[in-house]
Amino acid sequence: MTATSQPIGSSLFRYFVFSIALALVGNLGARMLLEANIGPSWIAIAIAVAAIVPLTLTAYRFRRLLSELDELLQKVVLEGFATALVVFLPLAALYVNLRSAGVYVPRLDPPDILMTPALLVLASLLLAWRRYR
Amino acid sequence: MEALPLKNRLRALRSERGWSQGDLAERLDVSRQTVNAIETEKYDPSLPLAFKIAKLFRARIEDIFEPE
Repeated sequence: MTATSQPIGSSLFRYFVFSIALALVGNLGARMLLEANIGPSWIAIAIAVAAIVPLTLTAYRFRRLLSELDELLQKVVLEGFATALVVFLPLAALYVNLRSAGVYVPRLDPPDILMTPALLVLASLLLAWRRYR
Repeated sequence: MEALPLKNRLRALRSERGWSQGDLAERLDVSRQTVNAIETEKYDPSLPLAFKIAKLFRARIEDIFEPE
């Protein structure tokens, strides 16, 4: 275990945001190709899949970083993710249920779907961090 | 299950030796934030870390940490 006094995951969060942005660019690219009917559809699929690679690598890096944090920081990260999950799951369930029940709910685009958990995790980490300061 | 709140003498022990929080953190191989959180009693260390602290100060765990 190596102690770190850097702000929790600050560099990692930048990677996450960058990776999500790349995933969204891939999403945009795939949609544009399909809508413009340019080339075979497998190119759009390849772009859509390739755009996820940085996010996957960042998630793997996160796992490694977690094991390098000291015990308090691990607890903060765990509490942050738990809080984000506790908020996100009911909200997501409410959204799909209301939508299924025919209630008008705003349509969620890929950026909303990808950014909501990321922002929730950030907010939850900051809250958990404040608790121990 | 509510954890038993602990109070500790870490700040006093550290000050006696003239160490900063950073110095102590380095000796314990944890972050300065962890030392601060333990001293302000916002965080109770794990048993291995408590043993490490006790060993560093050549004291028993119960001489440093005690239930409120």
